[in-house]
Amino acid sequence: MNRFAYASPATVTEAAAATGLVAEAMVTFDESAVLKAGGIDLLDLLKLELLTPSVVVNLRAIKGLDAITQDAAGNVAIGAMATLSQVAEHPLVRGSYPALATAIAGAAGPQLRNVATLGGNLLQRPHCWYLRSPAHHCLRKGGGHCFAIHGENQYHAIFDNHACAIVHPSTAATALVALNAEVELHDAEGATRRLPLEDFFVGPDDDIQRENALRPREVLTAIHLRKPASGTRMAHLRQGEKAGFDWPLADVAVVLAIGPDGVCREASVVLGAAAPVPHRARAAEQALQGRHPGEAAAGDAARAALRGATPLSLNAYKLALFETLVRRAILAALA
Amino acid sequence: MTRPEMAGPGKTAITLAVNGTSRQLELEPRTTLAEALRNTLGLTGTKIACNRGACSACTVWLNGQPVLSCMTLAIDAAGQEITTIEGLAHGEALHPVQDAFIEHDAMQCGFCTPGMVMSCAALLERNPHPDAEAVRDAIAGHYCRCGTYPHVVAATLAAAERKP
Amino acid sequence: MTATRTEIFSAGIVEAGLGTVTREIPAGEPPPWPPNAELTWIGKDVPRLNGRDKVTGATRYTVDVRLPGMLHARFLRCPLPSAELRKLDTAAATALDGARAVIALARPGDRLRYAGQPVAAVAALSPGVAAEALAAIDAEFRPLPFVVDMDEARAPDAPLVYDEASAPKGNPSGFPAAPGLPVVGNVRGPAVVRRGDPAQGFAAADIVVEGEYRTQVQTHSCLEPHAIVADWRADGLTVYMSTQFTSGVRQELAALFGLPLNRVRVVVDGMGGGFGSKSQLGVYGRTAVELSRLAGLPVRLALDRHEEQIDAGNRPGTFQRMRLGAKRDGTLTALAIESHGTAGVALGAGIGFFAERIYTCPNFETLQHDVFVNAGPGCAMRGPGNTPGAYGLEQAIDTLSERLGLDPLALRDRIDPSKARREERRIGAERIGWSRRHKPGADPGAVKRGMGVAQSLWMSNVQTNVACEVRVLRDGSVEALSSVQDIGTGIGTVMAQVVAEVLGLRPGDITVRIGDTEFPPGGPSYGSRTTASITPPLRTAATRVLAELGREAARMLNAAPEELEAREGRIRVKSDPGRSLAFRDAAALLRTDRISAVESRADDYPGFRRRMPDAAMAHEDLGGVQFAEVAVDTETGAIRVERVVAVHDCGRPINRLLLESQVQGGVLMGVSYALLERRVMDRRTGLMVNADLEHYKLAGVHDTPEIEVVILENLQGNSATDAYGIAEPANIATAPAIANAVYNAIGVRLTSLPMTPDVVLAALGKTGRS
Ligand SMILES: Cc1cc2nc3c(=O)[nH]c(=O)nc-3n(C[C@H](O)[C@H](O)[C@H](O)COP(=O)(O)OP(=O)(O)OC[C@H]3O[C@@H](n4cnc5c(N)ncnc54)[C@H](O)[C@@H]3O)c2cc1C
Ligand code: SF4
Repeated sequence: MNRFAYASPATVTEAAAATGLVAEAMVTFDESAVLKAGGIDLLDLLKLELLTPSVVVNLRAIKGLDAITQDAAGNVAIGAMATLSQVAEHPLVRGSYPALATAIAGAAGPQLRNVATLGGNLLQRPHCWYLRSPAHHCLRKGGGHCFAIHGENQYHAIFDNHACAIVHPSTAATALVALNAEVELHDAEGATRRLPLEDFFVGPDDDIQRENALRPREVLTAIHLRKPASGTRMAHLRQGEKAGFDWPLADVAVVLAIGPDGVCREASVVLGAAAPVPHRARAAEQALQGRHPGEAAAGDAARAALRGATPLSLNAYKLALFETLVRRAILAALA
Repeated sequence: MTRPEMAGPGKTAITLAVNGTSRQLELEPRTTLAEALRNTLGLTGTKIACNRGACSACTVWLNGQPVLSCMTLAIDAAGQEITTIEGLAHGEALHPVQDAFIEHDAMQCGFCTPGMVMSCAALLERNPHPDAEAVRDAIAGHYCRCGTYPHVVAATLAAAERKP
Repeated sequence: MTATRTEIFSAGIVEAGLGTVTREIPAGEPPPWPPNAELTWIGKDVPRLNGRDKVTGATRYTVDVRLPGMLHARFLRCPLPSAELRKLDTAAATALDGARAVIALARPGDRLRYAGQPVAAVAALSPGVAAEALAAIDAEFRPLPFVVDMDEARAPDAPLVYDEASAPKGNPSGFPAAPGLPVVGNVRGPAVVRRGDPAQGFAAADIVVEGEYRTQVQTHSCLEPHAIVADWRADGLTVYMSTQFTSGVRQELAALFGLPLNRVRVVVDGMGGGFGSKSQLGVYGRTAVELSRLAGLPVRLALDRHEEQIDAGNRPGTFQRMRLGAKRDGTLTALAIESHGTAGVALGAGIGFFAERIYTCPNFETLQHDVFVNAGPGCAMRGPGNTPGAYGLEQAIDTLSERLGLDPLALRDRIDPSKARREERRIGAERIGWSRRHKPGADPGAVKRGMGVAQSLWMSNVQTNVACEVRVLRDGSVEALSSVQDIGTGIGTVMAQVVAEVLGLRPGDITVRIGDTEFPPGGPSYGSRTTASITPPLRTAATRVLAELGREAARMLNAAPEELEAREGRIRVKSDPGRSLAFRDAAALLRTDRISAVESRADDYPGFRRRMPDAAMAHEDLGGVQFAEVAVDTETGAIRVERVVAVHDCGRPINRLLLESQVQGGVLMGVSYALLERRVMDRRTGLMVNADLEHYKLAGVHDTPEIEVVILENLQGNSATDAYGIAEPANIATAPAIANAVYNAIGVRLTSLPMTPDVVLAALGKTGRS
């Protein structure tokens, strides 16, 4: 780790004013200040000296950023600084968004979840082993090419992988995108903006050096979840190589709105560890909408979910794996 | 305990409350809690094995919650109660988890043991009567290369039986 | 000729019925021990005596050692898989404020052969300054062609890792590789073992089974990294080192630095895992000592995790081509194996002696080759050779049994001469419920269960160059001393049990001092030999001090010394236990403050099968049979090992609790090897991309099956304790047992490790590639 100064501002605006973007700093190696939430991902990048900031700006001292609240309409807001443990164990989350609770409870390990924040989880950098290797100066770090596409890509993307084949690292994001969550962002002037999480994530075609649309001098403050319509069913499933404490090879979140007639009104099917951003499987959603979901519809949706996939040399297994998880997640949601 | 507005990059005064004692230290902000405990305070019971958050050997408690000291900056721990393996026993009387670890041989080389003990003891503090799956979840992030997991689970369940 | 006497020993497998054996033993040896049931401490679950230190964090590991004035050292390592060192200028590093010593480990013009190879080293006042000093070294590397994949390295036009002159020469003991073998391209060998006439054997076979098996490179992944604190002083050298062999390291150091043995001291208290990789001094050890010598201050050198994964040893990967010929009744007529393995830039990537020794087969041949690649050197790892070797052969045997229509256990009953394993198969089959085993792939549904078995074989090693001391002090306290080190097996506790058994005390009454070459030279903690080597002389030494104490006590009790026994903390008259003295009171009669006996390892009573300069091999091999039950999700490719029954033998078991720990550990390392672990080398850059513990995956608690451990009491009348080791046998059978269970579950044989979901799905034809 390089030497850095440490600041602990008391307000979001102050914090925003102080900082640049981690993604940029990793490419330009300038010494701009970076934000630290739980610090789990940041410390990893600092230890690898992929980041050498002059200042680390601690968000922990800002009061109220970790609140989990419900408004009168039943919508839930999760403060960006809420820890993964707090989110996974919170009754509002477990009650209304069990797929999110499951996704988070299966991410990383318990000690990490006690510290890592939901905001940090969404904004962490990818875990592509070339990206995390100081010896590989790849495209995403401003280098000349992607090492994964013709290299060791067993854990890489099967969609949208022609330029950079990262998979988005956030397991929480898989569930949150399926839940149509929105993010709230504050800038240094005190202005806020809100946008769907899905639109917040950025694929390699838009910008190969970053995974989201966070702007310099902007802080993620909250994640908003709409009150689920009645008849909403959901599930999150993951499969790692290990039976616990492992990055998923594949994870799937499914949210279904089932009408009183048993017909699926709305469906969200999102694949994690499949693409550079959480991958919404629209064809799968269409295969469910307007149908009585069951084994047959689940099978159709699962096959549809993988349409258009472009697996790399070592990750074709993910097709079969995702197909299984999508089908099982739909059935689990219905169960 | 208030944090300084801006500290470092050189050494800065940091007060850590470790095992019930307040310790004034001079540390660079980049110092991890694990380094501060081991190198500055000489509390070498906390172990570093991967230094990247993947093995949990460095587990300590912050305000009673198990966290990874290698992935925590010391300066972030200021103002919180830090409990390390050295502070778990009450004098001669070991924590029930420690006694049970000895009895069930929940250790081999012992390098992962302090972290394991901290996680299992934390579990019993918040859930006095866990089942085996709860114990497994509590130590899911720990690596033991010698393979003591079965004995760790057995020991923790036994300690829970014994705890009032 | 030393005087001998004749003794009758209980012998045989206690569980299967005991007989006796008559031995001619050296006169100074203690009388035979009865079976464990009649002993007080031997064979019992004694919790480890240093347990309190371990659970309180008090145990001092090498990485915890802090000496006054201690410097911190780091390596500059080659960043490329193959390079010529063009320039190495350390002047700026040397001049740096706070840098105290800088040494070059390579010279301009030298060829560097793997990424991570040490090039230079610095010692400085703090780790931070050491890092700055490293950065100040001006080194230039000219990239050279490289190869990191074993198959590619075997191609005729592959870049050469070595030319013939520079290739490693092998080891005269033949382990891990014999000298004098031809080197062609990157391939060295074959090392040939042959008996009978394989061609004739195959001609005589009713059935021939062929198979190809592949195993990955596994890293030891010790949680405590390789570490040393070297303290060079005018009056001698002391090193604190995370080592499996204090007295071996002392010998290496003395020879290397031209010091007399009595000026070199090696100390290890806590030892955070070795598994074979901490058996020698190594480059890091040498370097730290050299830096300390130059700086005149203590130097600490501890590898970080990345270094640990790329340059601290590994279990070589192998490719094995196997042919097995048999008669209809299962009798083997021929077995031929050709193997290629890679230990990176080192030698020793063979498949061991598993196939050579385990089954009766008159016609046998192995051709083993080492293939050089540009990767960190491999070294011994828990059951070296035999672990990959068993993975191949035990699957071939499983295949053969199916082709013959014979139960795998019945086939082994026919071809396996080991009595211990026969009993182990019987017990294990009962425990796992072998009769429930169904036909391959017979389970309906997506998740299919299966059961498999595989066997273990390892040599019963003994270090003959071993000594220990037992002391009784005048206050009745007792010490047992040896330089032997505890790498996690709990050898200190085992030692206390042996001494306590002899002296009629409790294990907790014995102060065990080990891990320091100031004490009599103990053996290494590798080759599953520690207990076998240290406990017999320890019992003999304890018997001798007791005899001395008994002479004093006898006078006091008005009895002859032979009439006395030591039980329950007292010295008493056997025929009249009421006439007794507390052990403490007997000690108070001593004329000096302390009496002591030093003993060294006597030969096994029936002699040895084979002898090396400092070690030997007992007549009977160690066995072990493991049964695994798995569930395979054929739609995700995930394998879950649900249960393992591990039935083992190690001569006379001394502490079943600690043995159970070790067997569980061996099984878990096997589960991890079977399902998860794999060193991933990027072929285009020649770098290891998972040199961490995040993407190099070890089994965690959720991957842990229910493990049932059974340990036989296999008495042989071989030594004063009759005890042998278990660490390696416990690891050897696991992966093939799981592989056989997976086959039984899905009806498709997986022939490479690790069996990750991608491999399973591919084997099931679900990935569109084969
Ligand atoms: C061994 C291991 C296994 C893991 N497995 C998983 C897994 O299975 N699934 C998974 O999802 N994750 C996994 N993780 C990753 C872990 O969950 C993330 O590192 C963690 O969630 C990051 O949260 P944090 O609060 O610590 O973020 P920080 O490290 O503090 O921040 C991460 C990034 O976000 C920026 N940032 C943080 N908060 C804000 C904010 N409010 N506004 C603007 N910018 C901000 C920071 O500048 C930084 O760049 C694993 C990690 C490890 C070490
Ligand atoms: S996948 Fe992306 S992050 Fe990984 S090597 Fe390729 S460009 Fe870099």
